Amino acid sequence: MNTLVKQFRLFTLFSRFALRTTLQARMGIVFFMLGKIFRFVFIFALLAFIFSKTKTLKGYSFEQTAVFFLTYNIIDSVSQVLFREVYRFRYMVVSGTFDMVLLKPFHPFIKVLVGGVDLLDLVLVIPYIILLIIAAFHISAITFGSVLLYILLIINSLLFASAFHICVLSMGLIFTEVDHAIMIYRDVTGLARMPMDIYKEPVRSFFTFVIPVGLMMSIPVKAFMNILVWPVIFYAFFSSWVLLWGSIVFWKRALKKYQSWGG
Amino acid sequence: MRSYIQIIKTTVREYAAYRFNFLLWRFRMLLNTALIFFLWFSIYEGRSLFGSVNKAEMLSYILFSSFLSAFVMGTRTPEIASDINNGSIINMLLRPISFFGFYFAKDLGDKLVNVSFSFVEILFLAYAFHAPLLVPQPSLLFFYFLICGVIISFYINMLLSFIGFWTTEVWAPRFLFTMLVFFVSGTYFPLNLLPTTIYQLLLLTPFPYLYFIPTNLFIHKPDNFLVPQMVGALVWTVALHFIARFVWRTGNKNFSFWGR
Repeated sequence: MNTLVKQFRLFTLFSRFALRTTLQARMGIVFFMLGKIFRFVFIFALLAFIFSKTKTLKGYSFEQTAVFFLTYNIIDSVSQVLFREVYRFRYMVVSGTFDMVLLKPFHPFIKVLVGGVDLLDLVLVIPYIILLIIAAFHISAITFGSVLLYILLIINSLLFASAFHICVLSMGLIFTEVDHAIMIYRDVTGLARMPMDIYKEPVRSFFTFVIPVGLMMSIPVKAFMNILVWPVIFYAFFSSWVLLWGSIVFWKRALKKYQSWGG
Repeated sequence: MRSYIQIIKTTVREYAAYRFNFLLWRFRMLLNTALIFFLWFSIYEGRSLFGSVNKAEMLSYILFSSFLSAFVMGTRTPEIASDINNGSIINMLLRPISFFGFYFAKDLGDKLVNVSFSFVEILFLAYAFHAPLLVPQPSLLFFYFLICGVIISFYINMLLSFIGFWTTEVWAPRFLFTMLVFFVSGTYFPLNLLPTTIYQLLLLTPFPYLYFIPTNLFIHKPDNFLVPQMVGALVWTVALHFIARFVWRTGNKNFSFWGR
């Protein structure tokens, strides 16, 4: 218990440091926030534009499609809030700073995985949730049970996100390549801005079962709308844990291969 | 001229040297195109028209705009901002070559490599998923708008990098610009599907000239000479040329660095 409290204290300390660093770049904050708001508003406007000329997209109404888009945004933003430090990992490896992290008496993930919490992204999550609630009121199939399952599957999606980010860190240790790997993760998950049903086979299956973006982003929404069968839900929970376990094994192997680059 | 050709060749060779990074970059571009491509593919299931646009026109527009945007938007100018911030731009200033010419040549090398890969990608998407495509009908007017688009994109990118003369926060404005370009240049759909007032307002900005109008002219023969658009493209090209040169001169006067 003491260890957990200590780790949590370190997490909050690093988060405070990260917030102070972010606040140093005031112009950056304004432009990045504006860019993110533009991106969100434009895609939402695109959906409204499409649905002004059509009634359904692959059988989904405007509100249902909006829930897919909003859920993607919530999961993506929370992941970015938590795992922002991963984007800076390459520099730590090539400059030798990572050695200093390894020497410290705490798990390196406290620093390299969740040590740079980006609280600014959290600001955007609030309007996403409000819009999600508004959209949900227009979907008749939602029940208390489906809402509960949706929340559990969102948490499950964050396990997927953790696993992906740990894999990126491990790749950073072996190949010193982080930037492209993390951006590919962002672009691949970005495919789930829209329902995965829009993709033709074999693309849909590949991004649902091989690279489980569909399980991560679309399954919570389908559970929310009560259009899922239980085996798929179990499969989603099972695969997140398998992927998380696999990513930790990958991390441990990568750590054994890591050679300090020196400072 | 020989120096500029050499710069283009060197840029292409740089990509060959770091080919894994480049392939990953192209894979990301393919994913972005795939999202829009499949979105429209599914919208046309069970219907023949969206607004006044049929399936072949829309999918051709999406794929060819992706192809042309690789040419128009391909740039190496973001490195200028970090060169200004770390002082290494001084090496460029000492060279007996035009700074703008040097980067325009680098951009051409970048465009050549990107457009070759983009061509293969759109062929792959069209062939693998049986997308009906229109046969391109490039006219002289298309090349006029394409050249204007390339120059407009070049100067806007230069201006974004020149921000480095005044601040180290150079990435945020570029991020904002990328978002704007992505949505108001016609990446997701032809801009003329928008309500007329919004479309007319957008024509007053430089964005539709980047690749919306060139793509439209690539797949459709123009009905008339599009005089207002021709004037709009020319005005933006000339205006941005002078603005970029003015900002470059002003930035140089303000420029100071730590030395090495």
